[in-house]
Amino acid sequence: MATETKEVEADTGSAMRERLYPFVVGVRRTWKQFTQSKLGVLGLFIIAAISFIAVFAPYIAPHPLEWQAFGNNPTFQQASQLPHPPAFGDPFFAPLGTDHLGHGILTQLIYGSRTALFIGLAAGILSSLVGVPLGVISGYYSNTWVDEGIQRVVDVMYGLPFLPLVIVLVFINGVTTTNIILGIVAKSWLNNAIVVRGQVLSLSKRPFVEAAEASGASDFRIMWRHILPNVLPLGFIYLAQDAAFAILIQASLAFLGLADFTQVSWGTMLQWIQVQGYIYTAPWWLIPPGIMIALLAASFYFIGYSLEDVMKPGSNQ
Amino acid sequence: MVRITGRYLLRRVAISVVTVYVLASLLFVLMHAMPGSPIDALVGPGMTSEQIENIKQRFGLNQPLWRQYIEFITSVTLFDFGYSVQTLEPVRDRLLDRFVPTLVLFAPAFMLQYSMGTIIGTFLGWKRGTKTDLGGFTTGLFMYSIPFFWLGWILVGVFSYELGLFPSGSMMPAFTSSFGWVEAVTNLLWHMTLPVLSLALVGWAGPMLIMRTTMQDVVDADYIDFARAQGYDEPTVMTRFGARNALIPVVTQGIIGIAFMIDGSVIVETVFSWPGIGQLLVDAIFAKDLPTALAAFYTLGVLIVALRLVTDVVYTMIDPRIEFGGEA
Repeated sequence: MATETKEVEADTGSAMRERLYPFVVGVRRTWKQFTQSKLGVLGLFIIAAISFIAVFAPYIAPHPLEWQAFGNNPTFQQASQLPHPPAFGDPFFAPLGTDHLGHGILTQLIYGSRTALFIGLAAGILSSLVGVPLGVISGYYSNTWVDEGIQRVVDVMYGLPFLPLVIVLVFINGVTTTNIILGIVAKSWLNNAIVVRGQVLSLSKRPFVEAAEASGASDFRIMWRHILPNVLPLGFIYLAQDAAFAILIQASLAFLGLADFTQVSWGTMLQWIQVQGYIYTAPWWLIPPGIMIALLAASFYFIGYSLEDVMKPGSNQ
Repeated sequence: MVRITGRYLLRRVAISVVTVYVLASLLFVLMHAMPGSPIDALVGPGMTSEQIENIKQRFGLNQPLWRQYIEFITSVTLFDFGYSVQTLEPVRDRLLDRFVPTLVLFAPAFMLQYSMGTIIGTFLGWKRGTKTDLGGFTTGLFMYSIPFFWLGWILVGVFSYELGLFPSGSMMPAFTSSFGWVEAVTNLLWHMTLPVLSLALVGWAGPMLIMRTTMQDVVDADYIDFARAQGYDEPTVMTRFGARNALIPVVTQGIIGIAFMIDGSVIVETVFSWPGIGQLLVDAIFAKDLPTALAAFYTLGVLIVALRLVTDVVYTMIDPRIEFGGEA
C-alpha cells in the first residue's frame, strides 16, 4: 500500500497528464467542432455575458437591491405613482421603471441573473452527476441485474409527471431554492442516464474497450478511463438542456407561487406582477423578466442542440 | 410487417402495472410525509376529541398503517380516492368533471402544434445548412424557451385586454347555464383560441427538432436521388419520398409529446382558468386538499404510463427494424 502511494506521488505529473490526455483530446476536438456552429457560439456568448452581469451585479446595477424610488416611506402622492414607468433622472433614475414598491426593475433583473444561473447550472450539473455514472454503469453491465435494476427504476420514474411531481415534492418539503433544484434533478437525470447508456452500449463493443479488457484492466478502470471520456461530450449536451429546462421549471413554479420570495429571481418578479395585478398595465415590468428567462434558457438550448448537430457523424458537410 | 411477440408485450404491460403500483405507493408515502394530518382542514378549534376521533374514523385514519396501506392501494387502483376534504364531494366526481375539459383543450392544441412542427421540421431538414435552416432552428429554440405563462399573459393582454377580441380565460361564458348546441360550440371555440394558440406557439419546436434531425438523415439517402432521377419535382420528392420516411420517430415521439403536454397542463390551465385536471391539482394543493391533489397527480401519472405503453407498442408495429423480446 505504502509503496504504491509513493510510486504514484513520484509519477504524479506524467500520470495525471496521461490520465487527462484522452479527455483533453476529446475536449479539443469537441471545441473545434463546436465553434463551427455559429448558434452554439452565440449561446455561449450570451451565457458568458449573463454570468459577467451576475458576478459583477453590484457594480453594474444602477442601485443597490434594497433601493426604493421614494424611500421606504413614500407619501400618498408618491405611492400613487408606483409602479413608475421608465424614468431617466427625473424624479429618479430607473431605466426600466419600478415595481409597486419602487424597486428598480433593471436592478432586480441584474441581481435575478444570479438565481437563474445558479438554478440552471446546479440542476444541470447535479443531473449529470447522477445520470452519467448510472448510464455508464448500466450500459457497461448491460444484461445483468445491475442494468436491469437501473432500467426498471428509470422506467418507473419516467412514468411520473414532471411538473406535478416537482410541485408536490416542493410543497411537501418546503419552498426553498435547494428543494426546487432537488425536485427538478429527481426527474431530469433520467434522460442523461438513458442516452449515456445507449452510447456506452455501442462503445463497449469497440476495439479499444476490448483491448483494455484483454490487457486485464479492471471494470472500474475501463469505465473511468476509456468509456467516460468518450461519453462526456454527450453528457454535456444534456447538461445544457437540463439547465435550460430547470430555468423554465423554476419560472413556472414561481408563477404558481412556489418560489423563495426572499430572493430576487426573474420568476418571482413575474409572480409579483401577477399578485399585484399590474400584468396589463405595466409592460416595462412584465416584458424584461420574460425576455431574460427565454434568452438564458434559449442559449443553453443553443449550446446543447448545436453540439448535438456537430457531433452527429456526417452532419457537417 | 413484423408481429409483436407476446412476450415483449407482456413485459411492457408488467412494467406499466409496476409503475402504477409504485405511483400509488408514492402517493401513500407523500400523504403521510406531509406535515400535519390529512384532516387538518376539517378540524376546528372548538371540536371535542370525540368529534375529531369521529372524523378520523370516517377517513379510516385510526387503523394500523399496513391496513391503511392495503386499503389505500386497492381503492386507488379502482380509482376511488375517497372524499375531498375541501368540498366533501367524492374526489372521483371532481376528477371526472375535470377530465373532459383537459382533453378538449389538449387534443386540438396537440394536433396544431404537431402539424406545425412537422411541416416546418420537414422544410428545415430539407434545406439543412442554409440560412433558412439556421433562422428557423434559432426561432424554434427561442420560442421553446419562452415561459409559457408569460406568453399567455402577453397574448391575453393584447387580444383580450387591449383589443377585446377573445375572452381572457375559462371555458364558457360566466352566469349562463344552458346553451343551444351551436352556441355552445362557438363559445367553446372562442374561449379555446388563445390557450390553443399559445400552446402551439411554444411547443412546435419539439416535433420540429425531431423531424429536422431525421430529415437530415433522409436527405442523403439513395432513394431520394432515384426519385429525383425519375423526374419527380422537388416538393414531391421532399414530401412523398423524404418526409414519409422520416416520419416514424415523429409519430412515436408524438405520444411522448402528449405526455409532455399533459405535464404542462398545470400551468396552461392555471393561466387561462381552464377547468381541467391540472388546475384542480394546483387548487387542491393550495387548499391543502391532499386527497384531491394526490388523485389528480395519480391520474396524470396513469395517463402518462398508459401513453408510454401505447408508444412502445405502436413503435414496434410501425418500425419493422426494431427487435423485440431482447432489451425492452
